[in-house]
Amino acid sequence: MDLKKLGEEIIKKANAWGADEAEACFQNIKTFNVNVRKGEIETLQKSVSAGLGLRIFINKQLGFSYTSDLSEKSLDEAIKKTFELARITEAKPWQGLPDFGPQTLSDLDLYDPEIAGIPDEKKIAIAREVEKIAMAQDKRITNTEGGYFSSTEAEAGLFNSNGIAYVFKQTSFSFSVYIIAGEGDNMQGGGWGSSKRFFKELVPVEEVAKKAAQRALEQLGPKPVPTKKVPVIFDRYAAPAFWMGIISALNGDAVYRKTTFMTDQLEKAIASPLITVVDDPTIPRFISSSPCDGEGNITRKNVVIEKGVLKMFYYDSQTARKAGVKINTVARRGGYKSLPFAGSMNIIVENGQDSFESLMKDIKEGFYVKGLRGAGTDVTTGSFSVGASGFWIVDGTIVHPVDGLTLGGSALEILKNIDKVANDLDMRGSVNSPSFRVAELTVGGKRA
Amino acid sequence: MDNFRSSTPIKRRVFLKRGLESGALLVSFPLWKELLLSGPEALAEKAPAAFAVPKEDLRKLLEIALSRGGEFAEIYLEYTVINTISLDEDKISTATRGLDMGAGFRVLQGEKTGYAFSDDLDFSRLKEAAETAALISSGKAGASPQKLKTLSPPTYYEVKVSPDTIAPKSKVELLLRANTIARAFDKRITQVGIGFGDINKKILIANSEGLYVEDNQTLSRFGVNIAAREGDKRSTGYESKAGSYGFEHFDVKLAEDFARKACEMAIRTLPAGDAPAGEFPIVIAAGFGGIFFHEAIGHSLEGDGIRKKTSCFWDKLGQPIASSIVTLVDDGSYKGGWGAVNVDDEGYVGHKTVLIEKGTCANFLQDKLNAKLMKMNQTGNGRRQSYQFFPIPRMTNTYLLPGEAVPEDIIKSVERGLYIAKIGGGNVSSTTGRFVFSVTEGYMIEGGKITQPLKGIMLMGSGQEVLKNISLVGNDLLVIGGGSCGKDGQSKPVGFGNPTLKVDKITIGGRKA
Repeated sequence: MDLKKLGEEIIKKANAWGADEAEACFQNIKTFNVNVRKGEIETLQKSVSAGLGLRIFINKQLGFSYTSDLSEKSLDEAIKKTFELARITEAKPWQGLPDFGPQTLSDLDLYDPEIAGIPDEKKIAIAREVEKIAMAQDKRITNTEGGYFSSTEAEAGLFNSNGIAYVFKQTSFSFSVYIIAGEGDNMQGGGWGSSKRFFKELVPVEEVAKKAAQRALEQLGPKPVPTKKVPVIFDRYAAPAFWMGIISALNGDAVYRKTTFMTDQLEKAIASPLITVVDDPTIPRFISSSPCDGEGNITRKNVVIEKGVLKMFYYDSQTARKAGVKINTVARRGGYKSLPFAGSMNIIVENGQDSFESLMKDIKEGFYVKGLRGAGTDVTTGSFSVGASGFWIVDGTIVHPVDGLTLGGSALEILKNIDKVANDLDMRGSVNSPSFRVAELTVGGKRA
Repeated sequence: MDNFRSSTPIKRRVFLKRGLESGALLVSFPLWKELLLSGPEALAEKAPAAFAVPKEDLRKLLEIALSRGGEFAEIYLEYTVINTISLDEDKISTATRGLDMGAGFRVLQGEKTGYAFSDDLDFSRLKEAAETAALISSGKAGASPQKLKTLSPPTYYEVKVSPDTIAPKSKVELLLRANTIARAFDKRITQVGIGFGDINKKILIANSEGLYVEDNQTLSRFGVNIAAREGDKRSTGYESKAGSYGFEHFDVKLAEDFARKACEMAIRTLPAGDAPAGEFPIVIAAGFGGIFFHEAIGHSLEGDGIRKKTSCFWDKLGQPIASSIVTLVDDGSYKGGWGAVNVDDEGYVGHKTVLIEKGTCANFLQDKLNAKLMKMNQTGNGRRQSYQFFPIPRMTNTYLLPGEAVPEDIIKSVERGLYIAKIGGGNVSSTTGRFVFSVTEGYMIEGGKITQPLKGIMLMGSGQEVLKNISLVGNDLLVIGGGSCGKDGQSKPVGFGNPTLKVDKITIGGRKA
């Protein structure tokens, strides 16, 4: 498929037919995924799919449509219908394409040219191997959801009537395993995986398998604990769920509408001075990197929180214009079916000074969170409540696993009460954090 | 592309969330018929053109899909139009339209599934997809596909007036009138978001056992989202109506009424205080408690987890798993339900399945593959998000049958506990049965009376425990729609419901120790 030709034609047509401004977003994705369970292939799926999302502005009115049918007839129809959709809506002065034009995209090295040469058999073998090794780790491992491998080769195109015409390719590879330990009322699942842009950079199968087994085994036989206020350590792999709640409260439009608890916090100390958070989607070869955002703005490293002080809110071009804010906009897009929206791309909470061990050693009684469950932070009120599992700590050592606890508090209080940050950051996804400790938090247990 | 899996490598996590998230209002409005410049084609007239694959071709494709020795082959064709329109900041702000069209091929061989799809319905592309799905098996062709016979399923949808035949101004009027009511309701109301929308899906399923069936599915939803503020206190309110409904189910009176109800919720919960933490008795209001049964029990009764013995209920058939006043059903034939299906996505007729009968585990939810492997009957629960996915066991409309108790008496029976009016969403591990739910509207019960509104309530526990701790079931069943359930990366509309009920003890996560 020649995305460049297709994109430029669509924009030309939309303009010729009377659009003030037009934007076309294409996606063309080739996927392979396989699930192996108990050594046998359970599901195998291979597909190619493509689609277009079209945003048109007429007199500051917005119309949006998408289609998975890229035939010329269907595309013409999509353009016409998007015009009509725009005419139903009311004009808003801030609506229109972003102010920036074409820029030079960095080559972030996100495409693995070897993808075409990796045989399906090799991918299936990895899914089979990771399950086999994980199952063999311990006699108490009783069941499995299987090993999984997935690869995608995506071509994306973004075009608009201000001259933006970007086409870029990305690859990704991931594999994972999920096994179950224990029996009857004492079953615990554990999973782990690896996701990379380059096939050769995937972490060794053994490492993933062992980690999945360990995560299930260590949670076997949880014991109840009382409800009380204690110091709480967030594990580096549980922490992202907490940070996602904080980041979602930084939405610029919600600030404009005053519907987030962060509304009045810009340039104020919202967190402990130990906390610095950046958003950096420009790391070469990284899984969460991208040369441009969902509106075609080149990506940059942004500082979100600097030594506890809130430095920015997230705006896309529409919400920035509406709020009258001058800022580097960051727009995300959930594929071609989605309008752009403001949001983070690759959050990194910077490493602290402490070793992980030193977070635990002076705790008399406390909770080490390994897994979070649930929504977390209420963006409107800032109240924080989640389900949690992990370990109970007494006198600086882990005494037993716990499950079915709740954590409750206020998101701002938690941020301010962070008293130690570990130096164990492991870059794995779109939100990355070292382990950290909160001086005091309410743990809801069995006994009131 | 697949970041979720890397940072959260937990595969079998299921969750359910309320359709209308506060703030980000994404709702739909069926305007598209009027919008066609090329003439007033309705979906029903438009789709057959896309579906113009002759039956002989379908059979030929099924034959190709079986050419490597697969036991069963199936084609799923889909043509879906989704329209959204929303009102925000006193203006009709967004109108969108989406078209999804494609065909998925599935080949089964023992426990194996081969799947491929194409979004191009050209015969050569369909043939390629059929060949790819066939590769799950690696032998010679076995049985050839049966002659296709058309199935005519019953109708469980309540669609008299197809929403896409209605003038846009009628729906715009609903949004505007609801907005006027909400804006005038109270000066503490700061945000009003309203939407109306529909999903029009036409599907065609043909399989190697000779099944041929078509179905037109229509879902409509109207929703109001409110935000209120007073000083530092903030709250939200919402109300929605959603189901397999035609436009006759929506009018200005309903729109205004829903605007009022959403405002009342926001104002009521403005003075909310911090929730307590610990173990308490709770009363769950009729309607939203259904999320609870969907999450905490329903997912653990789905055939895939049962067959693989990864569900906590895999060996519980015929055994008591709940208190004897609990009878739970999943009902694809629930008329007008948000999860109603004339046929499921494998062409099996919508069905009412008793999951728990008077406390005893009575049935599991099955799709074709798991039913066959377990030598059990299909239950009409084989569902998929779209042609891009193969079907898996999923719920439709899941609800607890009503009991004898009077709702007021249930509240009176609690000395100190919580009243749960609305639940926002939750998730569960079907392995351990452990769940969490976030409560969007809840109150203290003190001395048998509902008192202080609370914020930040989290319910936590395991399905097994809660089922046994249900001590009172009211006579006021309410089934609601609008929710979206996610499982294995597939999202699907589901309905749920319950009468008012009491759970003797459950863990509440709040911030007051």
